[in-house]
Amino acid sequence: MYKILEKKEIAMRNTWYKIHAPHVAKKVKPGQFVIVRAFKNGERIPLTPVMWDPEEGWIVLIVFTRGKTTARMAAELKEGGEILNIAGPLGNPAEMEKFGKILAIGAYTGIVEVYPIAKAWQELGNKVTTLHVTFEPMVVLKDELERAVGRHLLETVPIDMTKSFPENMKNVTKRLTEKVRELLEKEEWDLVFMVGPTGDQKAVFEVVKEFGVPMKADLHPIMVDGTGMCGACRVTVGGEVKFACIDGPEFDAYKVHWDELIARSGYYTDMEQRAMQEYMRLMQQAAQGGE
Amino acid sequence: MARPKLIKERVPTPERPVEERVKSFVEVNLGYDFASAVKEAERCIQCPPEYAPCIKGCPVHINIPGFLKALRENADNPDEAVKNALRVIWNDNTLPAVTGRVCPQEDQCEAPCVMGKVGDPINIGKLERFVADYAREKGIDEELLCEFKESCTGTGGSVAVVGAGPAGLTCALELAKMGYKVTIFEALHEAGGVLMYGIPEFRLPKDILKTELEKLEKLGVEVKTNYIVGKTVTIEELLQEYDAVFIGTGAGTPKLLNIPGILLDRIYSANEFLTRVNLMKAYKFPEYDTPIAIGKKTIVIGAGNTAMDAARSALRLGSEVTIAYRRGREDMTARIEEIHHAEEEGVKFEFFLTPVEFIGDENGKIKAVKFEKMRPLEERDKRGKRKIVGTGEYVTLEADTVIIAIGLEPNRILVEASGFKANPDGTLIVDENLMTSIPGVFAGGDAIRGEATVILAMGDGKKAAKAIDAYIKQKKANA
Repeated sequence: MYKILEKKEIAMRNTWYKIHAPHVAKKVKPGQFVIVRAFKNGERIPLTPVMWDPEEGWIVLIVFTRGKTTARMAAELKEGGEILNIAGPLGNPAEMEKFGKILAIGAYTGIVEVYPIAKAWQELGNKVTTLHVTFEPMVVLKDELERAVGRHLLETVPIDMTKSFPENMKNVTKRLTEKVRELLEKEEWDLVFMVGPTGDQKAVFEVVKEFGVPMKADLHPIMVDGTGMCGACRVTVGGEVKFACIDGPEFDAYKVHWDELIARSGYYTDMEQRAMQEYMRLMQQAAQGGE
Repeated sequence: MARPKLIKERVPTPERPVEERVKSFVEVNLGYDFASAVKEAERCIQCPPEYAPCIKGCPVHINIPGFLKALRENADNPDEAVKNALRVIWNDNTLPAVTGRVCPQEDQCEAPCVMGKVGDPINIGKLERFVADYAREKGIDEELLCEFKESCTGTGGSVAVVGAGPAGLTCALELAKMGYKVTIFEALHEAGGVLMYGIPEFRLPKDILKTELEKLEKLGVEVKTNYIVGKTVTIEELLQEYDAVFIGTGAGTPKLLNIPGILLDRIYSANEFLTRVNLMKAYKFPEYDTPIAIGKKTIVIGAGNTAMDAARSALRLGSEVTIAYRRGREDMTARIEEIHHAEEEGVKFEFFLTPVEFIGDENGKIKAVKFEKMRPLEERDKRGKRKIVGTGEYVTLEADTVIIAIGLEPNRILVEASGFKANPDGTLIVDENLMTSIPGVFAGGDAIRGEATVILAMGDGKKAAKAIDAYIKQKKANA
């Protein structure tokens, strides 16, 4: 059981959890993740420590409310309460080298995974520019990134409430690719790194490829155990089957089979929606019952 | 003394009817009651323990005639009979409710049973299970646990056990019985290893397993879940804190087929499928949060116990299931009882088929599997199975779900992180005392054998516990 030291909504659908997890805090390195199971009948989900303190034994997770588990965490977990299971650190740390000038991109809440890596790269002597593209009310870690790296660029896109979420997301993808193109045209880069939805990673990669700049991406396939024992997170990289949880999560974007990965991430969409609807129905029932 | 009258046929154990059991994950076999258990125990001709073949056939050498004798000696006092029987079993095996259910007795204790030469061998597994179940229901195991705990005198030594599967659990329990302070480090959120995530409820109910695991705590063993040794903590760090380390990390990495289409939607490794179903209880979705996507026609590839478990689980999720195996019926490695159960429940079998391609639809979902037809040769391989060759003929079977159960290999996280000497297949190299290339670090179970059985892992755990005890005593004597 891991105590929740702090819990706050830091932006629309973005919750900050500072959690006592000394076993992870002591060992975690930028690029690694944890598997969290918050509830007794809950599922295991991969999340990334954003900040940590090995001495005080805490980690910070910033979670985007995306479906049932994350919604339930946002609604039911309380400051001072506990999270059932946090396993980790998992995966390989990000490569810590002097690459030179790096563009580190985070789409939506992906920026929280960029943060520890970009910060460490900068501290190592790289010239890091971070780019965060998201909806206006979802800006997070702006001050922290401005302090941590050479230059932090923020691009926000308004949400049009008359349109669907996927319609709105198209605008983010558009702004993302435009901005990346602009940056690649104007400046010389040694490395591009990106965290975000797989579709956006692919879209950005298509632009980067035109310029021939090396690119790495943290992949987000479905995971269950996170320790290499099931292969749910398998991806094709350079023609070989790899398990993202033990071989990644960071891979060379030029070697990733993007279309396959996009298809695999949608395997449970129907059931995810069903779980969410069921949860909303129970919440409504509880709310009515409580009156 | 009169020559014992041999009763050739075993006393049957009742099973849930097929129509009822395929709709749920409840246990299929209902086990003995006391009267029938005694009746079955009375069939045993009581070979002397020095040469009883059943004891030799059991990898942890339970005094089988001894516990059967204890059962029938107190036929008028069931509680006393069971307590005495359980005491005999516990001397050698602390997880009888598990082994009585999942051991392949037909290859082990029951195979050399003398009664098997003239009729049915004694139903040792079911009797072991009866003793454990009855004791648990009546709280008799609690009393016995106190008794064992009193006999444990603290040695002042401490041992770290990596992995809470059958090997690690047995090693930990044996060491605890000897009075060591034991801490188990487990990567998943529940202890049990394959007993928890691999073997389905209908063979090993999880409530029973959990009660068995509570013994750990009662004997003072600490379990640290969510610890991935090699990541969360290293072997070196463990060696600084503990007198010795036992590695029981198993063989949990699935082998996947290196053929086109392996990344299509709804192709599962058996490990993923069974972990979702057993550990995460995806069969209770959406009451439980973990989803599982299973279609109407499932093909399971492989014919070991894992394949049977996956097939029977898929069936219970409402799918038609076909097992496709590259060899023949007599080459299947699964337990006979489980093959029989699968057949009864309506699992279909296709033999001599090797998959060559997974065919997807326009949405990237599996729709069919292309197989090459195989032919057996007279020649046999190392394991005594017939060799097979392709015929050049192909057949395509429709499927909207595929589960791959062609085997497992050891997880490489630990080997890579710690620099153990290992074989090319990832199994750790150990000496005759089960010590690895790192002094003070012992290993057993699938981590050294590759994919084997629960009881062999338990046997290793027990052997390692003895070796660890000797090692620590030697170390302290030299200090």
